[in-house]
Amino acid sequence: MSLEVNGVDIDLDEDGYLVDRNQWNEDIALALAKTEDVEMSEKHWEIVNFLRKYYEEYQIAPMVKILAKEVAKLNNIDKRESSKMLYNLFPSGPAKQACKIAGLPKPTGCV
Amino acid sequence: MSASETPLLDELLKGPWPSFVKEMKEMADTKPMVRDVLRQLEKSYVDKKTHWKHGGIVGVKGYGGGIIGRYSDSPDEFPGAAHFHTVRVNQPAGWFYSSQALRDLCDIFEKYGSGLTNMHGSTGDIILLGTTTDELEPIFSALTEKGWDLGGSGSALRTPSCCVGPARCEWAMFDCLDVCHELTHFYQDEIHRPGFPYKFKIKVSGCPNDCVSSIARADFSIIGTWKDQIQINQEEMRKYVEEGANPLTSAVLLCPTRAIEWDGKEITIDNENCVRCMQCINAFPRALKPGKERGATILLGAKAPIVQGALFSSVLIPFMEIEPPYEEVRDLLERIWDVWDDHGENKERIGELVERMGKGEFLDQIGVEPDVQMVFHPRENPYVFYDEYYEET
Amino acid sequence: MNVRKTDIGCPDYKQFLPPVIKKNYGKWDYHEVPRPGVMLHVGESGDKLWSVRIGSPRLLNVHSIRYMCDVADKYCDGFLRFTSRSNVEFMTEKEENVEPMIQDLESNGWPVGGTKNSISNVIHTQGWVHCHTSATDASGLVKAVMDEFYEDFVGHTVPGRLKLAVACCLNMCGAVHASDIAILGIHKRPPSVQNEAISNYCEIPTTIASCPTGAIRADIVDGEKTLKINDAQCMYCGACYTACPKLPIADPVNDGLSIWVGGKCANARSTPRFTKMVVPWIPNNPPRWPEVVDAVRTIVDVYKKYGKPWERMADMIDRIGWARFFKLTGFEFTKYHIDDYKLATKSYNASTHLRF
Repeated sequence: MSLEVNGVDIDLDEDGYLVDRNQWNEDIALALAKTEDVEMSEKHWEIVNFLRKYYEEYQIAPMVKILAKEVAKLNNIDKRESSKMLYNLFPSGPAKQACKIAGLPKPTGCV
Repeated sequence: MSASETPLLDELLKGPWPSFVKEMKEMADTKPMVRDVLRQLEKSYVDKKTHWKHGGIVGVKGYGGGIIGRYSDSPDEFPGAAHFHTVRVNQPAGWFYSSQALRDLCDIFEKYGSGLTNMHGSTGDIILLGTTTDELEPIFSALTEKGWDLGGSGSALRTPSCCVGPARCEWAMFDCLDVCHELTHFYQDEIHRPGFPYKFKIKVSGCPNDCVSSIARADFSIIGTWKDQIQINQEEMRKYVEEGANPLTSAVLLCPTRAIEWDGKEITIDNENCVRCMQCINAFPRALKPGKERGATILLGAKAPIVQGALFSSVLIPFMEIEPPYEEVRDLLERIWDVWDDHGENKERIGELVERMGKGEFLDQIGVEPDVQMVFHPRENPYVFYDEYYEET
Repeated sequence: MNVRKTDIGCPDYKQFLPPVIKKNYGKWDYHEVPRPGVMLHVGESGDKLWSVRIGSPRLLNVHSIRYMCDVADKYCDGFLRFTSRSNVEFMTEKEENVEPMIQDLESNGWPVGGTKNSISNVIHTQGWVHCHTSATDASGLVKAVMDEFYEDFVGHTVPGRLKLAVACCLNMCGAVHASDIAILGIHKRPPSVQNEAISNYCEIPTTIASCPTGAIRADIVDGEKTLKINDAQCMYCGACYTACPKLPIADPVNDGLSIWVGGKCANARSTPRFTKMVVPWIPNNPPRWPEVVDAVRTIVDVYKKYGKPWERMADMIDRIGWARFFKLTGFEFTKYHIDDYKLATKSYNASTHLRF
C-alpha cells in the first residue's frame, strides 16, 4: 500500500500504518486521516499532538486510560464521557486510529 | 481441491477422530481463500514454522476490538491467504442455539468470509476464521441485523462465559446464564472499547466442579457454593448401594476432610468440616444435594504464564448472594477496575497487580475486609509492613 | 440504508432454550449417564431430558454446522448447544429419539462420548492454522492424539475424568496449565533481533518490560536505537515477540513440544492445581507427531493401570508420588524438571518423605 502526499509516494503497511515513521508530517497526518474517513478538527489535533508529545517523552504510546484522563482534563469532563468523546473523534478506536494518524508504531498484542 | 497439493495434511484425513483438514478441504472447493490457507498450512507442516505474520490492526467503526487482524507472511505465494482476519462474535450465554440462529450465522460466514469457524474460541466467542478487510463492515452489518454483536479483544473486558447452569444442571447454585448475560449487556462499552491496562475475563461456574475452568482462566471468577448442610436422602443412598455402588470408595475415602461416614445403612456428614468439594454429591446425585442457602464464592486473578507466571484465582469474597440485578457483583467489579485503573501498568493483569501490591494492601484499596478464608494459611515470613505504631509522648 | 446498530450485545439465551429446559429451568433433580456420551437429566417435575454429546475438532465448516442443525431439527425440536470443551450436545425429551440420533451422528463420522471417566475433548489453540506466535500446530496434534485415544473418548475406560489440552506456545490460549495432560509448544532459542529500523516498529520500553526475567535492554547500533538480549537470561517465552514484531522467535530446528501432567480446575476432592513438567522437549514431527502420541500413550497407560476410580491424574500422583510416576512411565528426570523461576524453592522436597 502507498499514499501520495504532495507528489511523494509514502509507503504504508497492510494495515495502513507508515512504514517509515520518520516521514511523518502534518500533511501526511491529514492524508492518513482521510484514509480513515476522519476529518481533522482542532479536537483531533489536540489528541494527535498529545500522542506525539507523550511518545517523544516516553517512547511508548500512552495506555488508553492515560489518554482518556488527558481528554477528560482538557475538556473538563468525566472518564466515561471522555472515552465516548475519543470514540466519536476516532471511531475505530484511539489505539488503532489516532496512533496511525499520529505516526506512532502499530499497537501489538491480541488487539 | 486435488490431494497432491497437501500430501502431509492428507495424512490427517485418516483415522477415526473428526478431521479439521476435512473441514477445511470441504470449504476449499468453493472458497479460493481456504485453498490458499491449506496450501500455506502444508508449507508449515513441511518447514515446521508458522506462516502468519505478526499482528494486524483492523476493525469496524465505533469499536476498538472484536476483530483480530491476520496476514500471510507469503502473500505472493498464497494470495488467497493474504488477509485472513478473525471475527469474534459474542456467544449466547451457555452456548445454546436454535438451528435457525446457527443457520443465519452460517449463511453470513459463507457469504462474507471463509465459511470456517471455531465453535468456540478459548474465551467463548463464536469465531469466524478468516475474512478480508473489505468484508468487515458488511459482515458486521449482517451480524447486527440478525441480532449478533462482536466479542472483546485487546485491553478490554473479554466476552464473559458461563457453564450450562440451571438450564440443565441440578448443581447450579444461582442463575449463571442470567448473570453472564446481564453483565455482558451492562458492560458493552468495556467489551467493545478497550480502556483497561490489559485484558479482563469473567467466567461463571454454577458449582465448585467449575466446568468453565473459571478458577484457572478468569481474572474474575464467580463459582457457585452453599453455606448450610448437604441435603441427604438416605433412602436413595441405600438404593445406590443396592445397585452396586460403594459409598466407601466413592465418597468416604475420597472426602478431603474426612467429613463423611457410612455405617452400612445411613450416611452422616460433618457439615462444619465440609469444604464443599462436590465429590460425594458428584458420586451420588440422587441421594446428596447441595444445601439450600446458595450463592457464590468470588475469586480474583487467574491467568496463563505470560508475563509473571501462571496464577489461579484466589478467594476475594467467600460468599456472596447472586441475585438480579447483580448490583453487588457490579459494585465489586467496578471497585476492582478503579484500583486497576489507578495502579495497573501497561499489560499487567489484575492478578499480577495483586501480586505486586500485596493482597492485603489491595484489599485495603478496594475496601474489602481481610478474611482467613482468603489464604491457605497465615503468613510464614516475618517481613511485615506495619501501618500502625505508637510515638513516645 | 438502515441505521447502523452497535452495542446490542449477545442475543438473549432464553430464545434458544428448548421448551423442556424452559419448563424445568433451575428445577432439575438429578442426572445419570446411561451410556457413554448420553446424559439423562430428570426434573423435579419428573420430566426427562436426554443429551447426546459428540466430539468435534472445534474447527468446523458451515456444512458441518448445518448438518448439526439438521440433526437438531430432526430429533431435538431445533435446539442444540456447545460445551466449554467444544463438544456439541443434542437434547431431546423423547427417549425413542436417542438411538436413531446416535446412529445418524456416528454414521456421519461424529463420535458420541466424552462423558464421565473418559478422555474428554481436547481444549486447544490455533497453531499454524491461524497464529503468528505458535511453535507447533495445535489442530494436527489433537487429531493425531485423538485418533490414538478414540476408544477412550467413546467409552468410560479411564479411572476418572481425563482432560487433555494443547497450547501452541506459552501464551496458552487454552487452559493447559490446569489440565490432566497438557501438550505445550515451546521455543528453545532466544529471539533474533532484526536491528533495522526496530524503533520504527516497536516501542522499546514496552518490549523491555515484556520480559519476565529482565533479559532485554536498550542498545544503540550504528547510531540507531535498538534492543539487546542477554541470551543466558532468556527462557524463550516469546512475550517480547508479542510486543515487538522485530524479535522473531520461531525456529524450525529447535521449536518443539513439552508434556505436562497433573493439573486440574475442579475442586472435587483435591484443590485446583497446575500441571507439572514430565517431558521437557520432543521435536516437531508433523503430520502425526508419533513421539508425542507415544508419550501420551505411556501416561494414559500408567493412569489406566494405577489410577483408582474417581482419581484424577493429580490425585493418583499425590498417592503414588512423583518418584514412582517417573519410574512407571520410564521418563527421564532431568535438571529441566526442577523449577528455577520465582518461588521455585516451594517445590523442593524439604522432608525425608521419600519412596524407594
